[in-house]
Amino acid sequence: MFKDAEDVIKGLEKIKYIASKEIATTVYLALKLEKPVLVEGPAGVGKTELAKSIAAALNIDLIRMQCYEGLDESKALYEWEYAKQLLYTQILKDKLSEIMGSEKTLKGAIAKLTSTEDVFFSEKFLIPRPILKSITSNKRCVLLIDEIDKSDSEFEAFLLEVLSDFQVTIPELGTFKTNVKPFVFLTSNSAREMSDALKRRCLHLYIDYPTLELEEKIVSLKVPDGNQKLIRQIVETIQRIRNLQLKKEPSISETLDWAKALVVLGYQDLDPKIAMETLNFILKYEKDIQLVISQAKEVFIN
Amino acid sequence: MKKIYSLSYLRQKRFSLTDMDKNSKSFISGKLFEFIEILRDANVAISVDEIITLFSAVTEVDLNDKAVFKQTLKTSLVKDYTDIPIFDKCFEEYFANRKHFFDKITEEDLKNFANNRNNNLINEINSQLEKYIDSLDSNILIQKSADDILRMFLDDLPESNSSGGGEGIGLFRSKGGEIGSYYSESDGSEFSQNNSEYLLSIIRNMLKLRVTRRNIGNAIKSREDFLLNRFIYQLTAQEIKEMREIVNRFGQKLKNRISLRKKRVKHGGIDIKRTFRTNLQYGGVPFKLFFKTKKIDRPQLVVMVDVSRSVNQYSRFMLLLTYTLQSLFSKVRSFAFISNMVEITDLFKEMDPERAINSMFTDVNFTYGWGSNYGRCFDQFIENHSDALTRKTSVLVLGDARNNSNDPGLNSFQKIYDKSKNLFWLNPDKKHLWDWNDSIASLYNHFCNEMKEVNNFIDLSEFIDKLFIDIK
Repeated sequence: MFKDAEDVIKGLEKIKYIASKEIATTVYLALKLEKPVLVEGPAGVGKTELAKSIAAALNIDLIRMQCYEGLDESKALYEWEYAKQLLYTQILKDKLSEIMGSEKTLKGAIAKLTSTEDVFFSEKFLIPRPILKSITSNKRCVLLIDEIDKSDSEFEAFLLEVLSDFQVTIPELGTFKTNVKPFVFLTSNSAREMSDALKRRCLHLYIDYPTLELEEKIVSLKVPDGNQKLIRQIVETIQRIRNLQLKKEPSISETLDWAKALVVLGYQDLDPKIAMETLNFILKYEKDIQLVISQAKEVFIN
Repeated sequence: MKKIYSLSYLRQKRFSLTDMDKNSKSFISGKLFEFIEILRDANVAISVDEIITLFSAVTEVDLNDKAVFKQTLKTSLVKDYTDIPIFDKCFEEYFANRKHFFDKITEEDLKNFANNRNNNLINEINSQLEKYIDSLDSNILIQKSADDILRMFLDDLPESNSSGGGEGIGLFRSKGGEIGSYYSESDGSEFSQNNSEYLLSIIRNMLKLRVTRRNIGNAIKSREDFLLNRFIYQLTAQEIKEMREIVNRFGQKLKNRISLRKKRVKHGGIDIKRTFRTNLQYGGVPFKLFFKTKKIDRPQLVVMVDVSRSVNQYSRFMLLLTYTLQSLFSKVRSFAFISNMVEITDLFKEMDPERAINSMFTDVNFTYGWGSNYGRCFDQFIENHSDALTRKTSVLVLGDARNNSNDPGLNSFQKIYDKSKNLFWLNPDKKHLWDWNDSIASLYNHFCNEMKEVNNFIDLSEFIDKLFIDIK
């Protein structure tokens, strides 16, 4: 566990994740108060990565659940393997009559059957899905519920129930409850508004594009081959590009791609010509590229 | 345990009699509550859950680090990222100008604050309050002040307490006397007095939040009713902004209903091929059945909005609605026109409605000559965008059919009618004004499945609701 927010920053840095103080504070509080965190922000700023890094930094398991439209309990919680159960009964038919055969009365047979009932209803026939796994593992783990905004609102309601007491009832087996609450991270790209009830249960973290200093630090860490001057230029340019009215602003992952590409191409210096030729690394729409080129004078002033 | 705190408290009291006049614990919580009120005044929704989170969070962090303190407040109070700028502003206003907030407080105070906080207690008081307020007549809430209600609450406590209230409430058991002197006599120490004062300040603040929230809630409700029934073309720009949320909610409801309808008709007949194939692994015993899914078409919609001046407010609102529809359903194409037909689907995809609508009115070139020209626009639509029309498309035209004596373009309009499944026209004019002056409503009406007078939100939502639910 982390001692304080500073410690979170240090711990994550070892895993090569540079966290701002805001991120660190929220993470620290979430771990301390055992509350889920709802992480929002533009695509590519490292929301999913954050959860992964925390799991790595604390050296605990990461259980990931990707949300999509139509995701339901049987995919998220558990599935009962009826087929396997039936097959077992078929195969064990002989054995059963062997056991039953010795009993003379019906009553005795039922008593015998009851005593071995748990053979048919046991965890053998249970396929645990991410949420159940996180509850039954009985170790601390990070449960990452990715892109919760893609799921339906019914699923959100179901999730609420789980998040409030980490307790799951399976009709065939009874109730599972955990003593060690998993750390829950929910990420969202705000494709739809989450319900107030869900928000109320979570701490909220909005990860925005990083500041110049932070982004520089991130790039130098992830692209160790690049020289400091080039990295500085790349990051400054990116920050200026983000200020334009673009359809899709370049985020950190694009910055990293660009930096890696320029390093591989062997450039020491970002001159406007090279920058304009490689714009397709950071901009995903032709319209955006045109816009940046038209504003080239303000953007590439290295 | 208790003894130690009271000792340290007394010690402090002796050392800095003047400075420590304020009880540091209630001082901090008081400040926090004050800040919460400020946020709420700025329209940030904060519920009791959030407050409880904040109070348990504050004690876990180093309050002397401003960045950490700020993020602690932000992460526990602000749940909607669009509120973050408001929060930042409030925080700067409130805390940046008060350097003393951090200076005055010593380690000791923080420790005291941390140790005396009792979440269970706050929780319990909270639920008691909730029950109590629910039991009150709603008129009382509006008429009485928070302090009055607090007094009533405290007076009523001992009775309800006997059925098991808990130690916290017990502090207020000694009934009678004024607020502020409620403390347990048997303990007698200065500490417990301060403690109960602290609790009282928390209760008072919680009650205040609660009462104002209820009143605000009532106010919002009647405001919504007012907005819903108002003539759309009389809405001011400000009111349209307010309606954004209502429109959004309406859209979400609609979507939920559609997905529910989808679920109900999920099953078709058995998919023989798939069932056989899958069950081969079980020796041909059909363990798993597969059904054919009945396909339900996603609503396909083409919306054309007249944005000319004669319907300016109306069209702003309609654009807002169009925006909502488009963000909810993938197969919606939006067009706006005055005398040129312009597709605005992409514009809406890129920007939030406010910005999109504003940029539309400034950037895009709608006008060619004077005023709206329906005929010309329908011609253009058939010429350039007829790919938007399929057998499954419903077309919505929003406008007043005032064609400024231009060619009505009936040929093209009929083509639109022929090529689409439904063609509806929503007219903001009252029915008796149709065909009046330069309106040629009934001329178009001839080719519509229906032309409907729609001038407030309730009519409109009913219409759209019906439209989507009836699509089969």
